[in-house]
Amino acid sequence: MTKWGMVIDLDKCTGCQACTTACAMENSRLPGESWQDVLFYHEGTYPNVKLSWLPRPCMQCENPSCVAVCPTKATWKTEDGVVLVDWDKCIGCKYCMIACPYGVRFYMDEKPVVQPDVREVFPGDGDRIWNPPYKMPDHLEDRKKGIGIQPAGVVSKCTFCYHKISKAPKGVADLDEDNPETREYTPACVRVCPPKARYFGDLDNPDSKVNQLIADKRGVRLKEETGNKPQVYYLSGGGAPVVPGERSQRRG
Amino acid sequence: MATATLPKLGFKPSPYLVGAGALFLVALLYTIYLKVTLGHHGFNTTNYGVFWGLPIVAYDYFLLTSTGLTLIASLPLTLGLRQFDPIAKRCIWLALAALVGGVSILFLELAHPIRALWAAPLNFQTASPLFWKILCVGAYTIVLVLMGLAFARGTAPADIPRGLAVLATLLALAITLIAGSVYGMIVFRPFWYGGELPVAFLIEAFMGAVVFLVFFTYLIHGFSPTMVPERTRTLFAGSLGALAAGAVFLHVLFVVARTVAGLWSYGEGLQVWQYTVDQPLYWAALIGGGLVPLVIFAVPALRAQPWLQILGSLLVAAGLLASRYEFVINGQLLPPFKGSWAAAPLEYVPSQLEWMLLIVGVLLANTIYAALESWSSTKEA
Repeated sequence: MTKWGMVIDLDKCTGCQACTTACAMENSRLPGESWQDVLFYHEGTYPNVKLSWLPRPCMQCENPSCVAVCPTKATWKTEDGVVLVDWDKCIGCKYCMIACPYGVRFYMDEKPVVQPDVREVFPGDGDRIWNPPYKMPDHLEDRKKGIGIQPAGVVSKCTFCYHKISKAPKGVADLDEDNPETREYTPACVRVCPPKARYFGDLDNPDSKVNQLIADKRGVRLKEETGNKPQVYYLSGGGAPVVPGERSQRRG
Repeated sequence: MATATLPKLGFKPSPYLVGAGALFLVALLYTIYLKVTLGHHGFNTTNYGVFWGLPIVAYDYFLLTSTGLTLIASLPLTLGLRQFDPIAKRCIWLALAALVGGVSILFLELAHPIRALWAAPLNFQTASPLFWKILCVGAYTIVLVLMGLAFARGTAPADIPRGLAVLATLLALAITLIAGSVYGMIVFRPFWYGGELPVAFLIEAFMGAVVFLVFFTYLIHGFSPTMVPERTRTLFAGSLGALAAGAVFLHVLFVVARTVAGLWSYGEGLQVWQYTVDQPLYWAALIGGGLVPLVIFAVPALRAQPWLQILGSLLVAAGLLASRYEFVINGQLLPPFKGSWAAAPLEYVPSQLEWMLLIVGVLLANTIYAALESWSSTKEA
């Protein structure tokens, strides 16, 4: 059975946020609802300052705590390993947001993060919370999978572009934008990455590129201690922790 | 079941009921106006990390007070503590009122409360504490109403079916412990994580229950101690006062122990303890809502004074709300993932709408309690 996963090479990532933009356009996200975000960190004080960054999609955990805590099973996991939200079952309790160690869930009924509020500029029609001019075609939207523009009062999250990857040819090992046969099925953030820092494929297929990279370059997962077992791996060259933990050194 | 002397049920609206009801209606209308005009923008929660705000604090506060009251009301039947007979009925009235007040706050906060009523029970997500909590609260409501009806018919506490009291006790216990687990099971939120939390919630449920009982007993008697029956006053000055002292002591112990451990530890996310102890609210809750009432309730000569009982109860009730606020909110101020780069804890101040939800819950609980008191003669004649 396919188990989709992603590998992000931090040695290649330039922090350009093309992934963030592509995701927002592909999935019609609101400002502040960055399903695919790039987090920036700075350590030290001038002149000894280090700037680093971390691209962060949903980790699509193998053992997701957000699925476990959802009282209505609105958050569920597909057979091919993607965590999705059924907007018809979500009650807006936000327990999944509390229980996500990676901060990748969004409740977009909150106050707008930028003005003007684009929800007022492009008011929603029907059940949609807003109605942007660049939204995905209606036939691709799927409320049961949290794909498209959400109704009010529900939680949204990265779907690994499930409307694309779920239509990929069966048994394919990798979804690569350089391969004409799989380009259309490749997640938007992977497809647009200028330095090709992202790879997407089947973690259960020993011949997939993602598996080779994880093995050859010692891929690591974030917050392993939580037991969530992310299906997103990072290649960091092994020289430093992926995320700086300067707070733990406050008394050092 | 002894039903030889059934009192006649009557409804005589008291000034307390009229006042609480009128204020509730005004508050409800204003809250609905805010909800309609502002929508969820009226809440000060954000996607940055503070997902649960004051309404969740208030909901938990009332729910746990309700379960604590039910546990106390069931003591005569479950443990044979007959000295609690005089206050059993009032405990059930207050438990019902607190339950409705708390759940009403949650319903006003939730985006899809009606959906929750069917989606949770029908989808059997047994791994979720909230699934069990919703189920238990549903069953608890039914059992509480049955006990309330029995009391309303004039059934003496000793004649309430024991099975009903045991069921009420088990459900109240389950809700309280599950409510603690909702927070205590989140391993990557070290401010919350811990197996001791459900036990702490149980202690605080007792604590809230006792002081609600004391305060509202005096309230319904016009704050005139001489109007309060002798048995009830003896109970307040005796075993119930001692129970209050014990619960407050354990609560203070729990808060101080957690604070020391949190300040000492180097773990990511525990830095919020420094922020917590820097806040005046922490000290006000600990000293004003903990240590001062502890002295009042622990010293027999002091807890025998009705006015000190009322003062102690008010202090504990306010301190407990402040503690619960700190617990729920501060546990979210350092997001588990962004915490490594966020320069400082997030900021959260309840909005006007969030305060209104609390006020609506308080006034609704008071209205229901006053109505129940007016409906059947709860006053110990």
